[in-house]
Amino acid sequence: MLKDREMEQKLRNEARTLLEQGKVDWIIGFEAGSLKFSTTPLITKDKNDTERLVINPFIVNNLADFLTGIKGRVGIVVKGCDSRSVVSLIQDNKVVREDVVILGVPCTGLIDLGKVEKLTGKYRDELDDITRQGNKVTIRVNGQKKEFPATDVLFDHCLACELPTPKEYDLLLGEPSPPIANPLAQEKIEKLKQMTPEQRWGVWEKELSRCIRCYACRNVCPACFCQRCFVEETEPQWVFPAPRWQDNLMFQIIRNIHVAGRCTDCGECERACPVNIPLRSLTREMYDIVDELFQFKAGMDKDAPPLLTHYEEEEAEGIFR
Amino acid sequence: MANKKINKKDIAKLLNKWSQEFAVFVPSRESGVAEMAKWDGKDVSFLDWYRNTIVPPKANFLPQMEEMFRFQKDKEGYKIELPPDGAKQLIFGIRPCDARAMAIIDANFKELYQDPYYLSRRNSAVLVGLGCMNPSESCFCTSMGVSPAESKDVDLMLTDIGDEFLIEEVSDKGRKLMAKTTGLKGATKNDEAKAKEAKKTAYDKVTRKLDTEGIADKLLASFDDQDFWEKVAAKCISCGICTLLCPTCYCFDINDELVRQQGTRFRNWDSCGFPVYTKMPMENPRAEKWRRVRQKVCHKFEFYPMNFDVIACTGCGRCIRLCPVNWDITQVLESVPAKARVGK
Repeated sequence: MLKDREMEQKLRNEARTLLEQGKVDWIIGFEAGSLKFSTTPLITKDKNDTERLVINPFIVNNLADFLTGIKGRVGIVVKGCDSRSVVSLIQDNKVVREDVVILGVPCTGLIDLGKVEKLTGKYRDELDDITRQGNKVTIRVNGQKKEFPATDVLFDHCLACELPTPKEYDLLLGEPSPPIANPLAQEKIEKLKQMTPEQRWGVWEKELSRCIRCYACRNVCPACFCQRCFVEETEPQWVFPAPRWQDNLMFQIIRNIHVAGRCTDCGECERACPVNIPLRSLTREMYDIVDELFQFKAGMDKDAPPLLTHYEEEEAEGIFR
Repeated sequence: MANKKINKKDIAKLLNKWSQEFAVFVPSRESGVAEMAKWDGKDVSFLDWYRNTIVPPKANFLPQMEEMFRFQKDKEGYKIELPPDGAKQLIFGIRPCDARAMAIIDANFKELYQDPYYLSRRNSAVLVGLGCMNPSESCFCTSMGVSPAESKDVDLMLTDIGDEFLIEEVSDKGRKLMAKTTGLKGATKNDEAKAKEAKKTAYDKVTRKLDTEGIADKLLASFDDQDFWEKVAAKCISCGICTLLCPTCYCFDINDELVRQQGTRFRNWDSCGFPVYTKMPMENPRAEKWRRVRQKVCHKFEFYPMNFDVIACTGCGRCIRLCPVNWDITQVLESVPAKARVGK
């Protein structure tokens, strides 16, 4: 926690200076949220607001999501996965590198409150405290302390993270942290892969039947930057607007293909889903397929051509004549 | 007129009895999300885990998606086929905030306009309220004139008094149902005292407060304050969670599905937060995000009171709990400038 405090102070100073010196028009970071263990995006032009910036194990949002909707130069707080989203946006010519000051947070993984609730059998607001000490997480409930291995309560995508420390940054706020690389990250996906296609179909029928089409999965996703989403097109209508499970599935499949090569496995789609659809099981699988087929990982190199909007002549051999 | 009571162990029996007349719905996580689902005839585990559902019970009256009618074209024109009336519903365990929300929605679908789809469900349904003994930190019902364990918007009201629930008859519908529900014990004075205490304890547990005094006027004065609304809207991602899962939001979209000469007209939830809202007739007049956020806030706290004399919010807290960016309506309303900063 001391580390977080130090990073926080460094971040506040830097953000204030950036605004004062006119190097950026906006700071996008995190501040304390209104609920226990929550943070909320802080998007501000006011240097005095920088005092509210925080860094802790609950900075869940991928703030790169706001970059395409904002005018002017931006100082942005990013974890490893978010930094890859920024880079991916640069690759897609959606963001100009010179217009962003990347404030990198070396990330050690975020705490998944859903997992905490399952482990403790308590709702998040019934917990007194959650603290992280290296590989351990201590949760205090009704004055009693319970200790868990950190890997039990970190988000799946954090356990799978390949780049916890941003590679592309202007300022790194702390010492680089190593990847966790825990096999638990793929547990849900492996389970699905071991099923027969019929079983898997049944799973997705059930999961997608509760989709309410709030589009939070799309709207929290920095890779979903289309001005108008195919799902909202009416002529032609690709997907029926009412939440029938088959149409919900079509929406997810097409969205997945659209973000292939752009998805950095930040896990936001799954976290944002109000009805608990395990969306990362789709996006991470796509991430791995992209890696396997094209040896491509999104947002690792700002100078690399983007995967799906880039074309080499020899790639067409045998397909187009 | 004396109140009745029931042992918690006998709830399944009671629900079974009611199942003979009604399609009984209870809080369930069977689908993967907490919602009111058709009772399976056995499971009453919700008595242990249930705080409130994620999908509000409005879904039982305004389904996410419903068939309005089927149509078929032949030589003489269109033939219309209406869906059959659904079963009479008994919603067991509805929270006072969500029951109040139904009363608020009634203003639109029952009073302003008689919506046959809504009314056929609403009029035949019985609401059995269950007092909320463990409100969330995001709940602010007491600021919205709702008490977590008391309700006039249900037909029967249950209060947790230890091993038993006290049952109060709130409406005529509730009284009639209780007259048919035999075998229940009468509540003692001691039970009544325990229920009274439980209600007070629950009330005091709601710690989030919102001062709504003069809020409609403040919003009216700040309507053109673009700076304020842009600031408030900055972190909103324009998803539909806070509206679709709001117990008082009722906007819908209508879609036809046509296959050759046959078709179905559907009605499904829509949200004023979406950029494509009302795009169908023309354009969305609220192209910018801050206008849509303003609409959402003002509809609930300014326009609805203007039209129906009631704020369209019950403090259920879903919009705060479920928001991916922790956009908090109570913070937003508290930051509305007290006086107009622009215009006259």
